[in-house]
Amino acid sequence: MFKKSKASAALVSPYIAWSVIFIVVPLIMILFYGLSDTSGAFTFDNVAAILTPENSKALALAMVLSVISTFICFMIAYPLGMILASNKVSSQGIITTLFILPMWMNFLLRTLAWMTLLENKGVINGILSFFGLPQISVINTPAAIVIGMVYNFLPFMILPIYNSLARIDDNVISAARDLGANALQTFFRITLPLTVPGILSGITMVFIPALTTFAISTMMGGSKILLIGNVIEQEFTLVYDWNMGSGLSLVLMVFIVISMVVSALTEQKGDN
Amino acid sequence: MAKDLILLENISKAYGDQVILDDLNLSIHENSFVTILGPSGCGKTTTLRIIGGFESPDSGRVIFDGKDITSLAPNKRQLNTVFQKYALFTHMTIAENIAFGLKIKNKTDQYIKDKIKYALKLVNLEGFEKRMPDSLSGGQQQRVAIARAIVNEPKVLLLDEPLGALDLKLRQDMQYELIRLKNELGITFIYVTHDQEEALTMSDHIVVMNQGYIQQEGSPETIYNEPENAFVADFIGDSNIIPAVMVRDELVNILGTNFACVDKGFGENKPVDVVIRPEDVELVKAGSGTLPGVVKNVIFKGVHYEMEVEAGGYEWLVHSTRMAEAGREIDICVDPFNIQVMKKPQSEDEEAIAIDV
Amino acid sequence: MKKFLERFYMGLILVFMYLPIVTMIVLSFNASKSRARWGGFTFKWYLNLFGDSEIINALANTMTIALISTLVATVIGTLTCVALMGVGRKSRAFIMGITNIPMINADIVTGISLMLLFRFLHMNTGFITVLIAHITFNIPYVMLSVMPRMKTINPSVYEAALDLGAEPFFAFRKTILPDLMPAVLSGAMMAFTMSLDDFIITYFTKGSGFDTLSTKIYNEVKRGIQPEIYALSAIIFLMVIVIMLGSRIMRYNKAKRAGSKEDSYAAKKRLPIGKTIAVIALAVVMITAGLVFGGVFRSKSNQVYVYNWGEYIDPEVIEIFQEETGIEVVYDEFESNEIMYAKLASDGAAYDVVCPSDYMISKLIGEDMLSPLDWDELPYAKENLDEAYMQSAAQFDPGNKYTIPNFCGTVGILYNKTMVDGPVNSWDILWDPKYKGSILMQDSVRDAFMVALARNGYSINSTDRMELEKAAADLIAQKPLVQAYVIDQVRDKMIGGEAALGVIYSGEAVYTQRENPDLEYVIPDEGSNVWLDGWCITKDARHKENALKWINFLCREDIALKNFEFVTYTTPNKKAQELIEDESIKNSEVAFPSEESLSNCEVYQYLGNDADKIYNDLWKKVKAAE
Repeated sequence: MFKKSKASAALVSPYIAWSVIFIVVPLIMILFYGLSDTSGAFTFDNVAAILTPENSKALALAMVLSVISTFICFMIAYPLGMILASNKVSSQGIITTLFILPMWMNFLLRTLAWMTLLENKGVINGILSFFGLPQISVINTPAAIVIGMVYNFLPFMILPIYNSLARIDDNVISAARDLGANALQTFFRITLPLTVPGILSGITMVFIPALTTFAISTMMGGSKILLIGNVIEQEFTLVYDWNMGSGLSLVLMVFIVISMVVSALTEQKGDN
Repeated sequence: MAKDLILLENISKAYGDQVILDDLNLSIHENSFVTILGPSGCGKTTTLRIIGGFESPDSGRVIFDGKDITSLAPNKRQLNTVFQKYALFTHMTIAENIAFGLKIKNKTDQYIKDKIKYALKLVNLEGFEKRMPDSLSGGQQQRVAIARAIVNEPKVLLLDEPLGALDLKLRQDMQYELIRLKNELGITFIYVTHDQEEALTMSDHIVVMNQGYIQQEGSPETIYNEPENAFVADFIGDSNIIPAVMVRDELVNILGTNFACVDKGFGENKPVDVVIRPEDVELVKAGSGTLPGVVKNVIFKGVHYEMEVEAGGYEWLVHSTRMAEAGREIDICVDPFNIQVMKKPQSEDEEAIAIDV
Repeated sequence: MKKFLERFYMGLILVFMYLPIVTMIVLSFNASKSRARWGGFTFKWYLNLFGDSEIINALANTMTIALISTLVATVIGTLTCVALMGVGRKSRAFIMGITNIPMINADIVTGISLMLLFRFLHMNTGFITVLIAHITFNIPYVMLSVMPRMKTINPSVYEAALDLGAEPFFAFRKTILPDLMPAVLSGAMMAFTMSLDDFIITYFTKGSGFDTLSTKIYNEVKRGIQPEIYALSAIIFLMVIVIMLGSRIMRYNKAKRAGSKEDSYAAKKRLPIGKTIAVIALAVVMITAGLVFGGVFRSKSNQVYVYNWGEYIDPEVIEIFQEETGIEVVYDEFESNEIMYAKLASDGAAYDVVCPSDYMISKLIGEDMLSPLDWDELPYAKENLDEAYMQSAAQFDPGNKYTIPNFCGTVGILYNKTMVDGPVNSWDILWDPKYKGSILMQDSVRDAFMVALARNGYSINSTDRMELEKAAADLIAQKPLVQAYVIDQVRDKMIGGEAALGVIYSGEAVYTQRENPDLEYVIPDEGSNVWLDGWCITKDARHKENALKWINFLCREDIALKNFEFVTYTTPNKKAQELIEDESIKNSEVAFPSEESLSNCEVYQYLGNDADKIYNDLWKKVKAAE
């Protein structure tokens, strides 16, 4: 261990100052706005506003869609991670890169691409009608939003799962088989538990942005579908009610605190 | 004569262009301690994995106790493996690790509990049930891995370089421990290593492999004293491997000097290699031995002195409890029984085997 | 068999991941604007893209922000990680806990919290605030990459270097840094990626007149998908591939070099330094280029910040103004009066000159957010504007103190004759289940309620709770039939045949009819909204003189004409009206509606804060309904 020193403290201080000013103080400001009315008096109304039918519905819908999206991402990413991790060929790096590459496309361009595909007069319907097949109408439905979420956040699920799978020693799997476990037992008792940290980090990396998005729902949902992210965004950009927007943000932070606790717990377990 | 428990028949295995095993035949007796010895990449681990069922051979058969198990899944085989770097389940306690195989077989809780206790006692780890693998030292993890394998009462225990990651002292302790275990359990051990000392210490039977072929098999004494080719000679212990000419039966010309030997049947005036172990080279007063030489270098090794002697244009390695100081002129002589004559490699293929060490 | 299944699965996912990108690349060469039809091969979208200085600016801004924020975050993050090793265990855990916050926190919360801070500090939002925000969320990525590596480093190496007489910094550079470097680089790479990809945090912290690629694309998409954006996608994708391949080749070469035996110590030592210098030089060049093209260095004094409706000006007019006056125009667009209001209310100095409509102007006047006009500086306005329109404007701006009328128009239904049967004469058609999924409604509260109120025969300025609730109920009942709530996108979607019916502003009708002759505009018999919007100068404007010049310039007859021909809304500029040569437009009932057709149209009035709240709450109910 490095020795404690004054120099270290001095070197840490710029970052401490930075994080206090730009991380801690802004959060306190949300807390302040969220718990006061326009005159600055304390009120719990802005947080309680989550219970109004519109807001709770937007939150519930956001949760449903983001849980579905996270689940789909997981179901796609896990088998893919297993295939990628089991590939011993030298091209493994390239293949893995291939699945991560779309991450470098701009987030809005990725979403725009799906708008283009799914529109009523879009590419997919154009191709379908060319072959005389029935048209699909997916755009501006919750399904379209789920597609947008899955497409945008899938790489964030693939990466941690792949990493945790690639880290498992092949011999551990062989050992389980050797001790009499069949393929299914090996998967559920060994592979899956060993990748729990990766799965959890994948889930937070997909679930939180999906839960709080407003761009995907605006673009893929035609402003017909209101998620909690849209509600908060509109409190700031349309209704000009910062107190309400902050109050609802505080509700979102509850979810974030939960995921922080979960990740802290798993980290602790890993340390033991 | 013990019966054959495992038979490998004409096993071949290749990854792409790379041939790992080529037409391998091997039989393993019941209740023996067999060591497969060879440098890395020689095919020893693949052989073990084929026996364990983790790899399937491209051709050939694996017979276990009279039955063909070539395509049987590893979980259906009556043998267990102790893996390189232990391969413990890091998300389970020691007890859960050991109980894993038993739970799969739906044994009763009481049975499992007893077994864990018994196995931990056997490997001297009583009281470690609740610990996690990461909190154990390398040697302790190794014992857990062994305990985890033997609670399943396998007929054969496969050990894949199990001591490779341990330090020297621990390794030596574990060697005795393994011999004790084998005797207590009365089952067959198949042990893979690249460490010749380990092989010589523990085994009843050694199989030396290189480049996918079995070079020689036999008891440790045979392998050490009568290597069949330069590879085996060089791989097992330090040796002097010297090109020579077989003058006739029982007489070999080494570096221009005739030595008496006991080997026959190599023909007359045929080029051969001879192997002479360093401890078999005797240094005698100049003029009283067979081949004159000069001591170049002396190192004290504790039990013996290690000396380099130049004689007949070759640097001989000599181990002796008596020192001859550097610069001294001496003569070399060798007991005829200690000269091991080997055929020269004939085909290019065999040459490759001989060179690649 | 297993191998085949694995390949098939990977192939399927690759198709899912790349099909959209490939589609965009293909469409970037499609001469037809339609997404469903191939109209021949063209490069014109690429040419348009390179000619679009706003997108080039946004691209430059994105790169600059990403590079600088990555650089700063990497330095701060790495130093902090090193220094943290010399700090007590508890304080280290605490600091790492804070560091985790921006990573785990939702972007929207981070963005809002920073916006609140910047507004509280009265910082001018723009380049600096976005940069600060990006540095803030980038530092954690660097630290979380470097910290684990730092923990594995043996401090005795560093101590040995000190022991041998090295200066602390030299010792650090020679012993610890080389070991840390891979982790530092991967952290920097992660930070760079996150910065490039960020939309939400930038969206809340960017302020006026500053866009990154993400916010620019978001605005563009809201207006309808332009093929130029496909061209942009193709170029970005190409860049990504080149960078990816480049880094792979570099890694490969490095591996090869490491493998070759001639690699001397000197060569090893020299190469990274050369490479470092090259990388730094490249970064400096790109940052400077970005700052120049992104316009961060532009003079702060001779500017005018204009906030106008989307697609509401001829871009050439802006250029002519800049050429003639030498004043730089910083131009942003809004989609609805409410969005404009929220922006202005949160930062009164964000814009100098804005163009709200009638009811919003009276709200702004009521809240003392505008500054009175100096008519002496507006000779063209005095001269050219039609007195009748000045009188209309006086209804919401008594004495014409604050507003110069810009355009006026009506709200009506645009429909596709090939998709809708019979004449359209009533708002009722928007409730006809026959057109389920083919109806576009306006995504702005007053316009949406206007449709429902007028349909029921109520005043479109109703504040009666019962009437409004009935209107809201109607809108909720209508929602399953509605394809989307949009504003500027109506144009694009109607032209493309994406929908059969759309609520639209009159000026858009002329434009869309030019592009698609099947479209017809009608003001329903129940009546509608007639509106007038005008230029106002904000109270806190920082460039009031330039703002006056801007307004006066737009009232010049040739400029007003040019603008009219582009946006095709009714112009209150009588001199410009006289100059119109195109007979079809001059006589267009849409561009210049008759008295009769306007007889049951009403102007929106400002209804007060309480009514605003009712409208907003009911509108939210509509939007949240199934």
